[in-house]
Amino acid sequence: MGIVLISHSGTLVDGLREMVAQVAGDDVAVGTAGGTDDGRLGTSAPRIAEAIGAVLRQSDDAVVLLDLGSAALSLDIALEELSEDERARVRVTEAPLVEGAILAAVQASVGASLDEVVAAAESAASMAKLPRT
Amino acid sequence: MSEIRLLVVDPSGLHARPAARFVQAASRFASRIVLRQDGREADAKSLIALLGLTIRPQSEITLAADGPDAEAAIAALQAELGPYVSPVG
Repeated sequence: MGIVLISHSGTLVDGLREMVAQVAGDDVAVGTAGGTDDGRLGTSAPRIAEAIGAVLRQSDDAVVLLDLGSAALSLDIALEELSEDERARVRVTEAPLVEGAILAAVQASVGASLDEVVAAAESAASMAKLPRT
Repeated sequence: MSEIRLLVVDPSGLHARPAARFVQAASRFASRIVLRQDGREADAKSLIALLGLTIRPQSEITLAADGPDAEAAIAALQAELGPYVSPVG
């Protein structure tokens, strides 16, 4: 199981990749696509396709997380570049990027199924952060 | 059912990295394993459940396991928590 992190910022996904590796360990493949081809803020379909392809070469499945909805346009183009077999191994989630990536990677690191990893990622949307009193 | 009470001695409580290590260790056991704090209970094999407990410094937690490898799980998980906790009572 691998995860793919897509952001409008390359710096953001580089930092997030570091956090994911520290929290979940190195056994989960992490692909990143951040920023445009010329280094500006934005998303790039070729970069996204490359990141997904790299994860699929290391893992059976790839769970994809986005920072903002506008990344979905580039993602759609990237998905069209994949073969039918590859596309069938990709799951795109609504999960919030940072929290979802951490939760998904930890569940993936303990050998959870694709459905369980996606559920963990999407549960991040309702995760409490402040201590309850 | 096997259980142990622990005091969280780490000054920052149980934060993301040790919590993730704990989930990974708990997932290696067949038993149902939970952490309890202040009457609330979290599945030890789920990071979101564990982080949702917001385990604070100086709080008392109970680690409980129920299943065929419960005692081994308690021993291993107490070791996993190592410097973050000390036994109570």
